[in-house]
Amino acid sequence: MLGSLRSSLIVRLVGLSLLLLLVVQVAAFAVVRASIEHNARVQIAQALDLDENVWRQLVEQNAESLQQGAALLAADYGFRSAVHSGDVGTIQSVLENHGNRIDASVTALLDTRMQLVSASVDEDVGDYEAALQQVLPTLSVQPQNSQIVVMGGKPYQFVMVPLRAPIVIGWVLMGFPVSQALASEMKQLLSVDVAVMVTRPDGSRSIPVSTLPLEVIEDLRESGAVTELDTDSGTLLARPVRLHSVGGEVQTLIFRSVDQVLAPYRQLQVLLGVITLGGVLLFALGNGAMALRMSVPLRSLIDATRGLSRGDYAVPMGHTRRKDEIGTLARSFDRMRIDIASQQAEIQHLADTDRLTGLPNRERFRRALMQAIAADGAAAPLVVLSLDLDRFKHVNGVLGYAMGDRLLQAVAERIGQQVRSRADLVARLGGNEFAMLMPQADGAAAREMAQRIVRAFETPLAFDDQTIDLSAGIGFACWPGPATDADMLLSHAEIAMYAAKQRLSGPLQYDPSLDSSSPETLSLLTELRRAVDHNELRLFLQPKVSLNGQPGSAAEALVRWQHPERGLVPPMLFIPFAEQTGFVRQLTLWMFEQAVVFLAQPHVQAMALRIAINLSTRDLLDPELSNKLGALLERHGVSPASFCLEITESAIMDDPQRAEAMLNRLSEQGFKLSIDDFGTGYSSLGYLKRLPVDELKIDKSFVMGMATDDGDAQIVRSTIDLAHNLGLTVVAEGVETAAILERLQSLSCDDAQGYYISRPMPIDAFLAWHGGVGARQ
Amino acid sequence: MQRCLEVARSGVRWLGAGLWAACAMQVSAATVQVTVQDGAGKPLPGAIVFLESPEAKKLVRPVPNVEMVQQKRQFVPDVMVIPVGTEVRFPNHDTVRHHVYSFSAAKKFELKLYAGTPANPVLFDQPGVVVLGCNIHDQMVAWVLVVETPFYAQTTAAAPTVRLEKVPAGTYKLRAWHAGLPVGAPAHEQALTVTEPGAATPVVVKLQGAGP
Repeated sequence: MLGSLRSSLIVRLVGLSLLLLLVVQVAAFAVVRASIEHNARVQIAQALDLDENVWRQLVEQNAESLQQGAALLAADYGFRSAVHSGDVGTIQSVLENHGNRIDASVTALLDTRMQLVSASVDEDVGDYEAALQQVLPTLSVQPQNSQIVVMGGKPYQFVMVPLRAPIVIGWVLMGFPVSQALASEMKQLLSVDVAVMVTRPDGSRSIPVSTLPLEVIEDLRESGAVTELDTDSGTLLARPVRLHSVGGEVQTLIFRSVDQVLAPYRQLQVLLGVITLGGVLLFALGNGAMALRMSVPLRSLIDATRGLSRGDYAVPMGHTRRKDEIGTLARSFDRMRIDIASQQAEIQHLADTDRLTGLPNRERFRRALMQAIAADGAAAPLVVLSLDLDRFKHVNGVLGYAMGDRLLQAVAERIGQQVRSRADLVARLGGNEFAMLMPQADGAAAREMAQRIVRAFETPLAFDDQTIDLSAGIGFACWPGPATDADMLLSHAEIAMYAAKQRLSGPLQYDPSLDSSSPETLSLLTELRRAVDHNELRLFLQPKVSLNGQPGSAAEALVRWQHPERGLVPPMLFIPFAEQTGFVRQLTLWMFEQAVVFLAQPHVQAMALRIAINLSTRDLLDPELSNKLGALLERHGVSPASFCLEITESAIMDDPQRAEAMLNRLSEQGFKLSIDDFGTGYSSLGYLKRLPVDELKIDKSFVMGMATDDGDAQIVRSTIDLAHNLGLTVVAEGVETAAILERLQSLSCDDAQGYYISRPMPIDAFLAWHGGVGARQ
Repeated sequence: MQRCLEVARSGVRWLGAGLWAACAMQVSAATVQVTVQDGAGKPLPGAIVFLESPEAKKLVRPVPNVEMVQQKRQFVPDVMVIPVGTEVRFPNHDTVRHHVYSFSAAKKFELKLYAGTPANPVLFDQPGVVVLGCNIHDQMVAWVLVVETPFYAQTTAAAPTVRLEKVPAGTYKLRAWHAGLPVGAPAHEQALTVTEPGAATPVVVKLQGAGP
């Protein structure tokens, strides 16, 4: 939140402008402050000029008044008559007495030549005579002036008046201490502080007169004359005023408080500060309000666009009625929302529909299924029916893709006609696979539907002058059932459908046993893998015998499973399963390798044995098959001519093109090829003729029926003739009686295989059997 | 105008008295003519010249009816020369009272606030300069020069050269004094021998340091 706040444009805008405003205000504040300070100092300096004049005036006036006082005193008749008494004691006492009258500290009588006659001096004055010697030369020149004299660290103001009797017969010199009253008067007059600083010739300083507080005086005494003084009560600017003096230096420092001058400005500054603060606050509020007016709709637009990006196109944008830019933006967004929604709907429709048939596609079907399950919960029954056309690739290959498309369209139409209501959903899942979702249906309803479809397919399709028979594998799965979700349910229906196709049976309902991925199957698969790893499989050989006296011997390789607990597991229990799961490829390779190893043994090589091995559909469709077999042969130095590879018709017909390609490669490699279970499939002779086949193996059902059924015997005879005519050899399997063997021999069948000759047996037994037969021959 | 005349008359009278005394003393007498100049060589009015000698001292006689008048808050005359033993009266012609005093060593006295003429005149019995003042009116000042000789004269603006008549031949100290001399300073002194009667001997005295 804080991060987004910091990165928000509006916050930054407001912040920046506030910052700028503050900077300007602070700068103005600083300038005003500096200017006030400067002005105050200038003002104080001017005031101090005046103060200095006033102080000098005051000192002068004081001198005049002292002089007048002294003159009055000197004119006193009593004083004059006492002075003329000639008696030293009397003179001394009159000087003292009259001096005290006007608070003179020094009262001296001089003759007309300025020679000291007598003097009266206060006790605390100290060495006055030296001071008098200094003051007299100045005053004798200009007796009407006053003179400041330093005595004992204190300044005194000396005046001299003539003593008349009535002519001037001498002078009276009087010294008065520069008093606190003078400083106080100054302070009273001008509101300034005054300090009189005396520097004696020896450099020591004292401040005998001052209006300043004691501690400040102490500081000042230490620092000497200054122009600026910082005190607890603020800064004082000082003006040193030098008074002409003898016996020491006398400076008067006049102080004015800067703060006192600044005080009214300070109030102004505070007011300015308050106004600034208020201004900033108002600005912030105004800007904030403006920002809110922008940011609130912007944020709601942002939320709305987030809704759009989530795919929520239903909610119209707010603020579209505003007349400002935000309104324009909002309207533009809203138009975009409507456009995207319609495009989205179109895309969705395209994505959900099969272009060819117009039916819903797998995605749409899957979604509908999920919705149906989710809406009705586990309780509501429904059925998924899966349908896959037979031989569709054949149609495509023979009649062309255009016809294939028309076929699919027609099939879609026929299936569509079978729905019970609009609630049933027909979809094309891909290729030639269709599905139907039947809500509120159970197994019975599904079976009924399947039969209806089968019946609908009974009428062949007629295109132009072509007639096409329709057939399909149909499977279905019910909900609730073993499936736990929609995908599994669909998968189950497909498994049932494939099983039905494989078995060429009618519609099948899903059962876990059909499913190679069902738990039972999985455990079997695990066991099979373990069987390979733990060498539980055994190679069995069933001998073939030559009926036409050809040399060499042959056998069919078969696999047996020596289960550690269950004992010998019959092939029927695991071979179909292995074919279903694809594990058969490993089984085939295992058998091939076992056979190669067996054939590689020198004594077996001498037997000129040819071993037949069964290839399944999965093997044929493995493009690496020929390479894998070739590698095994090369490794053990066995010729491919020692092998006959048996392929059923159905294995070829699952994907005729690929099967044919693989068979050609195997044949070129040198393998002999044989069609297994011949006669049970639908393969045409024309097609067979194209294949590089060397041998036909007549299905045992015909061979076994020969003894009892003339039809079967006829089929066997025709097949043998046919094969021979095509240049192929013929093998009959399922030879169980001597009669059959004899019959086959009479029919010129090339080889025979069956229980009558021998059951499949382990390798050792086979070798022994072979030795026996060899011995017999 | 009338007062001016009176002053002039009294001056003539003192002069007359001096001449009279000289005539009485000696038959063989001469006339000494003295001109007093200031430091710049200009004639100095108000200066007093007198001749001192032991013989002259014996010839001293008091002068009667001498007055130091207070008029218009001034002493009249402002400078007066009298022989020792002369009694001076201090008539007050002003309507205000005066308090005449002297702190001079030659004669200290005090005439406390009075109007009219005090009953007793003041006897100046010591030679020297007596400065008179009024305690009420500081601007009032007068000098009384008390001399021990009958031969004395005072220069005026009109007659800067004075003649001392009938001076017996002999050796004298010619002395000159002026109120402008520094306070307490002694009178100028120079030796003068008067030989025989006949033509007046002209003498020029320069008084250095005498202010007007």
